[in-house]
Amino acid sequence: MATADFSWSTPKQQFNLDGKKEGEQKLSDEILRDNIRWFIIFRWAVIGALILFQIVALIASEELTQLGIREQQVWPLAITVILSAANFAYIYALDFCQPLKYNSPSINIWLQIIVDLLCLSIVVHYVGSTATPAPFFYILHIALACIFFSALESLFVAIIVSAMYTIVLLVENEMFYQVSQSILIDPRFSNESLQKGRVLVWMIALDTLFFIVWYVVSRLTLVVRKHEQYLRDAYDQINQAQIAKDQYAMLVTHQLKAPLDAIRSKINLVKEGYCGEVSREIEDVLTRIDKRGHNMSNLILDVLRLERLKTAGRNTNAMGYVDISATINKCIDKLEPVANARNIKIKLSMQNFFAFGIPDQIEILFENIIANAITYSYDNAEIDITSIIELSGNLAIVTIADHGIGIEAKDLPNIFDEYFYSPRAVMHNQSSSGIGLSLVKIAAANNNLQLKVASEPGLGTAFSAIFPNIQFIKENHNELTY
Amino acid sequence: MTQRIAHVDDDPDIRDTVRQILKKHGYEVDSYHTANDFLNSLNDPAVIPDLAILDVMVESMDAGLNTYVELHNRFPKMQAIFMTSLGDMILPYFENKSQEWICIIEKPIEPSVLLSIVRERLKTAKPEMSTSQDG
Repeated sequence: MATADFSWSTPKQQFNLDGKKEGEQKLSDEILRDNIRWFIIFRWAVIGALILFQIVALIASEELTQLGIREQQVWPLAITVILSAANFAYIYALDFCQPLKYNSPSINIWLQIIVDLLCLSIVVHYVGSTATPAPFFYILHIALACIFFSALESLFVAIIVSAMYTIVLLVENEMFYQVSQSILIDPRFSNESLQKGRVLVWMIALDTLFFIVWYVVSRLTLVVRKHEQYLRDAYDQINQAQIAKDQYAMLVTHQLKAPLDAIRSKINLVKEGYCGEVSREIEDVLTRIDKRGHNMSNLILDVLRLERLKTAGRNTNAMGYVDISATINKCIDKLEPVANARNIKIKLSMQNFFAFGIPDQIEILFENIIANAITYSYDNAEIDITSIIELSGNLAIVTIADHGIGIEAKDLPNIFDEYFYSPRAVMHNQSSSGIGLSLVKIAAANNNLQLKVASEPGLGTAFSAIFPNIQFIKENHNELTY
Repeated sequence: MTQRIAHVDDDPDIRDTVRQILKKHGYEVDSYHTANDFLNSLNDPAVIPDLAILDVMVESMDAGLNTYVELHNRFPKMQAIFMTSLGDMILPYFENKSQEWICIIEKPIEPSVLLSIVRERLKTAKPEMSTSQDG
């Protein structure tokens, strides 16, 4: 049989980076939104600092004057108002407006950068463009732009920064002989008047620094993004490999099981009289052959199940609230014919609840435990399935207890091992695959469940699954039957 | 009028078994080795079946599933049954598809079970030819 593409299950894209060319890589809208929120919080902190500065300036103006800081004019208040209004506008655009062509996270962040740079330029002007370290705060904007934008876009930011600082210096330079350069720093603390040459040195030095910072940070960002790309590719490859592995497991399972199915189909044909009358002896022989084939089929399917469970792991996408009573009833429906054939009664005493987990895996867990309880019970026995809810601990315990052959103490630590056979179990049931409880263990681990086993040889075994963080109401808030 | 059943399976023993069971109970059975053969046969209105029994893994791993999709598009009311060695293990590949139309029989074939499912499925209305039959 040929193999081909399996198009029905496509891997889910889990990374947020746009799959663009390396140099053009940008962050996705989702990440931009997170960062916009972070910027807004950061801006509130700056606004807080400005307000604090104004309060300190009001109550301790003399001390500030002694430190060489002049009494401030209205600019701190103006900047506080502008930044606060801008912050509210960003929040409104982000959370209360529909995303439109002109209201994208990218435009939002661009606006923030431009408004911030304008405000910073005003601050730089008033605080001192060459006499204080204020212009160095421009670097922060360049670094952030390098992180959040493409290299080209961050270059634009660097150019804007450079232009703004240059404009500040030029404006001040024209006014050089009329007004003092620094308003924040008292002229008594400036050693000498600022010279045009000095302004030029500052302009060239800082503009050069801005572009060096842009170059270094944007290079660094590219390296980081490149590695992110490698990680994404590696993740994609792992996903693809897992799909290929599952397909291979399916194919092998199919190829192993198909001939058995053909044999067993023919046996059924003979047994049901489609090939003429069959003697009792022949029917008995056919039943035995079929039983062995059935066991082998189960083993093949169990190996596939085990492989799938191991691969699935803790797939949080598949998790949801699982109706435990419904799941157990479904398992009982499946297994009832086997139990009835040996006159084994299944008694159910359930307090229903919902557990957070992967529905298929919880079903596998119960199906295997109940199937084991049936298999290792004596004929005409009873199996008790109970659930107890402990409200104090917000947990529930589901116990499946049989009155069967039990497990010896020395075997108990090994029962969840793959392909483990205890001699007593094999004597009772020759068709054990040794995988059932391995499936239970993996399903329990994947769903954060605790398992407890209590057993007494000759008296029976009780398997308990402990569900943490249970709920009594479905996610859609429907009332429960409990 | 005799009801017609199409059966697609690459295993000759399974094809023989199904044919033997269904013929004995009065059905007209057309067996196909590949899904492609079956789809090509649908161009002839004389052999359009009332029910299709599809193997999942025939030419390729999902040939049966793709055949169903095409069948569903061309003959929305035609009944179909999947018969596979993998049983419900193939369910993950039915992701995002309605559970209602999926009937999966796990091999081996049990004649009485097969017959009861076939009868139940055939109780529904006869298939209607869609306009895109040749497409």
